[in-house]
Amino acid sequence: MPPRVDREKCDGCKAEEEPLCQQICPGDLMDLGANKKAYCRAPRDCWDCMSCTKVCPVGAIETRVPYQLGYHVAKLIPMMGTNTITWTCIDINGKVERFRYKNRTT
Amino acid sequence: MVWDLGERLARTLDLEALVQNLARAKGVTRCEINGDLWSEDSLTSLKDDLSAGHIDRILWVGRFSPDRMRILADELHTAGLNPFLHHWLDLEEQGVLLDGTDRVIMNRKALSLLEMALARTRLLEPLEPLEVPATDAMLIIGAGVAGIHTAASLAELGKRVYLVEKASGVGGKVALLSRFYPRLCDPHCGLQHALDKLEASPLVEFHTLATVKSLDGSPGNFEARIEQRPRYVNERHCNGCGECVAVCPVEVPSAPEAPQELLPQAAAWQKITALLQPGRKAIHPAYPMAFPRAYVIDREHCPAGCRECEKACPAQAIKLDQTSEEKVLRVGAVLVTTGWDPYPLGRVAEFGYGHHPRMISNLEMEKLLGAEVSGPSSPGFSLQDLNAVGFIQCVGSRDERHQKYCSSVCCSATLKQALAFKEQAPAATCYVFFMDLRATGFNEDLYRRARDLGVIFIRERPTEVKVDTEGGNLSIRVNDPILGRPILVDLDLLVLAGGMAPAAGTPELGQVLNLPQNQYGFFESHHQCHPEDGQRTGIYVGGCAREPMNVSRAIESAHLAAMKALKFLEGRVLIDPTYPLVDKTRCDQCKRCVEECPFGSFGFDEKGFPTPDLARCRQCGICMGVCPLGVISLRHHTIKQEAVQVEAINTAFMGEGEPVILAFLCENDAYLAARSAVHLGLPVPPNVIFIKVPCAGAVNNALVADALSFGIDGVLIAGCQDDQCHYVRGSQLVKKRRGDLGEKLRTMMIEPERVRFESLGIRQSQKYVRLLQTHIEDLKAMGPNPFKI
Repeated sequence: MPPRVDREKCDGCKAEEEPLCQQICPGDLMDLGANKKAYCRAPRDCWDCMSCTKVCPVGAIETRVPYQLGYHVAKLIPMMGTNTITWTCIDINGKVERFRYKNRTT
Repeated sequence: MVWDLGERLARTLDLEALVQNLARAKGVTRCEINGDLWSEDSLTSLKDDLSAGHIDRILWVGRFSPDRMRILADELHTAGLNPFLHHWLDLEEQGVLLDGTDRVIMNRKALSLLEMALARTRLLEPLEPLEVPATDAMLIIGAGVAGIHTAASLAELGKRVYLVEKASGVGGKVALLSRFYPRLCDPHCGLQHALDKLEASPLVEFHTLATVKSLDGSPGNFEARIEQRPRYVNERHCNGCGECVAVCPVEVPSAPEAPQELLPQAAAWQKITALLQPGRKAIHPAYPMAFPRAYVIDREHCPAGCRECEKACPAQAIKLDQTSEEKVLRVGAVLVTTGWDPYPLGRVAEFGYGHHPRMISNLEMEKLLGAEVSGPSSPGFSLQDLNAVGFIQCVGSRDERHQKYCSSVCCSATLKQALAFKEQAPAATCYVFFMDLRATGFNEDLYRRARDLGVIFIRERPTEVKVDTEGGNLSIRVNDPILGRPILVDLDLLVLAGGMAPAAGTPELGQVLNLPQNQYGFFESHHQCHPEDGQRTGIYVGGCAREPMNVSRAIESAHLAAMKALKFLEGRVLIDPTYPLVDKTRCDQCKRCVEECPFGSFGFDEKGFPTPDLARCRQCGICMGVCPLGVISLRHHTIKQEAVQVEAINTAFMGEGEPVILAFLCENDAYLAARSAVHLGLPVPPNVIFIKVPCAGAVNNALVADALSFGIDGVLIAGCQDDQCHYVRGSQLVKKRRGDLGEKLRTMMIEPERVRFESLGIRQSQKYVRLLQTHIEDLKAMGPNPFKI
C-alpha cells in the first residue's frame, strides 16, 4: 500500500525544490503538489520500502501495511534515532512488538 | 584518566570501586583519585605523561569553576594538550550527593555518568580557533545626531567610518530643533562640535544623498553597495558662497504637507505659515544642516535649458549633467542609526491638523522657537504677539488606532517648549492638556519649573476644537477634572505633540540588511541584555531606529552598538572553534537549516550545500537540532558525542519500578536552575540525568528517539520561555518538533507525554524540582518504557 501523507503536517520541506521524500524514493514516485504538499503520484508502483516514511522530518508520512499482510488495524512504524532505527509492529489483533536495530547510515 | 577532587564525593560514593571500574575501560591508561590537584607534583606528573604520549585527553571529575578549568587547560596546553581535549564532569550537580537516597543507587548513577562522560571524552577532537582577516571600517547608515557623534568617537579610536545619509545634509531631526532639554541649549552647538572633528579627520567619509542598495559578505568583511544620487554640484569645488541662489529663477514652493488654507486668516498667521514653510530656490544649501558645505539642486524644479547657476558660479562647481552612481564600500560592521519621522498628524482626524494654520505640530513649534533664536530670518512674526498657547499631548500616541506606544520624549519636549515660549513671552498663558505627564527622571525639574512659571496643566484632552471662521481664532472645550465642569479656552496657537514613528524607508532598509522589525516597525533588538543587537551579527542598531528615545539616550545607544561592533573592526575576526560543521557527504540539501537559523547565517556553497557564515553564526546549534539527517554538528558538542552519552546511560540504575528521566537542559537558564536546585539542597529526584545543550533548539529529535528506544522512560527538554530565548526562537522550534514526535509516538502506542518541553527561568529551581516530581509520578502511572530491557 502506498504512503499516505498527512496534509496538516507536511510542510513541503519548506521552500525546497525537491522534498526529502522525493529525493529518497527509489521509484521516484513522490512529488510536490500545487498546494506544496507531497503526494505519491503512482500508488500502484510503490514497493512499500518505507524510505519516505523514515526520512520525513516532520513525521507526516505513514505507510499502510499491504492487505496481504494485515488489515488496516495493522501498522508498521519506524522511528529514526541517530544511528538506530526502532520499529513498532502492531498486528491486526492490536498486539504490539518492538525492535531496535543499529543502522549503518540514517 | 580520572581525577577526583576533595573528600566530598567519597563520603557518599564508593570512589575506589568506581575508579577501578573505569580503569578497566577501554583506552583508560591512568586513573586516580587526587585530593590535591594544585600541587606541583600532580601537574608535573600529568605533564610528563602528556609529553611521553601516555595520555592524549583528560576526563576530570569534580567541581571545577570556569577559571580553574581555564588555568588547568592553559597549564596543560604548554605540555601540548589541546584545550578542547578535556571533559569536565561534575557529579555533584547531577545530584549524586543528595541526602535520602540509597547509596547503591547513587553509585550506579555515578557509574552511569562516568561512562557517559568517558564515551564523550573518547570522541573529543582537538580544535583551534579560527582567525579571519577583516577590514577596520564601519558603515553608519543615517547621519543624525547618533550617527555623527558615534562616527566622531570611532574616528578618535582610529577606525575608518563611512557615513551614509539619504538627505542632502547631515544633522537629521535634531538639526530641526531649537533647544535641547534639560539645559535648553542649542543643538547645533553639539552637532557643529562633532562635525568639526569629523571634517578634520582623514578617516571619515560622508556620502550624502546616498542609500544602501545591498549588503553582502559577512561580519568583518561586508560589502555594501550604495547608490549616490546626483547633487549637480561638485562637493570639492563648491565653497558655499551663494552666488547661484541669487540668479536661480525658480522659487520652489514649500513642503508638500503645507496646511491647506481653508479659512480666512489675519496677516500674522500668514507669517507663521511663511516661517514654517519657507520657500527656497531650486539650488539651495544642504538640508537639514548646511553640511557638507556644497549646495544642492532640485533638478525636477529646474526650467528646461536653464543654466543660470552654472554661469554665475565663480568656482565652476555646477555639474548639471551629473548622474547617479554606485559605490562599493568594504566595511567590518554596520551601524543603523536611521532615526525617526514624525507620526503624520493628519491621520488623527479629531483635531483637524492641516486644516488650520494655527494648529501646528510639535516639530513645527521647534521651528517657530528656533526662528526666534536665529532672529533676522523671521518675517516680522514674534512669539510675543501670542496671548495663549495650548499643547495637546499624546496626539496619535498611546492610541489603539494609531501608535500604541509612548514616544517617551514628547512630554519633556512640550515642557521644554513651554519654558522656551514663556521665556520670550512671559505674559502669555500656556495650557498643557495631557493624559499622563511622563517627564521621567530629572526631567521632573522641567515640570516644576513650568509650574513655577504659571503653565496651566489640565489632565484631560479636549473634546472639541472650535474654529472662529471670522477672526480665525481657535477655542477648545475641555472637561477640567479639578473644577469638575467643562471650560472653554481661547487659543492663538495650538501645538499637537505627535509621537515618533519609524523613519520612512525602514522596511526597505530592513529588507536590504535582512534585519527584522518589531510590531511597531522599529528594528528589533534584544532590549534588555543586548539592546544594541540587531538580530544579525555584525549589524547593530542605535538611536531611534530601535525605539523612541531622547537625544542623550540615542547617542549612548549608538555608542554602545559601536563598542560591540569594535570586535569586527580589529582587522581580524576571531571565531570560536565550536561552530557548526555540515557533513557534506550525507547532507541532501534540504535547506531546513537555512530556513530555521534565527540569524540568517546559512548560505550555499558552489555545489548547493548549506554553509554557515562563521562570522555571523552565534553557535546556538539550532541547525544541529533541526537537521533531519543529523549531519550538522556543533564542533565540541557533536550529535555523535551526545548520542554516545545517551547510549551509555544505564536505564536501570534506579532499580525496579522507578522511572529514569533524561533531561536536555539549555545552558543559558535551565541548566543553571538545575544546578542551583542541587546546591540549594532542594529535593531533586535522583531519577534524572541531564545533558547540557547550548539551546533547547539544539536537541535533535533523533536523540530523543534514541533515548526512548534505549529504554529511558521520560525525556525532558527545558529551555527559556518563548519570548526570552537567547537565540530568538529555539524554544518555539523545539515545541513544534516535540509535537511532531508526539504524534509519531502515539501511533507507536507509546505515551507522547513521556517527552516534555518546559520553560525554565534561571532562578526557577523550585519549578525544576516540581516538574521532575510530576513527570516521575506520571511516568510511574504509565509504567516503564516498553523498550526497556
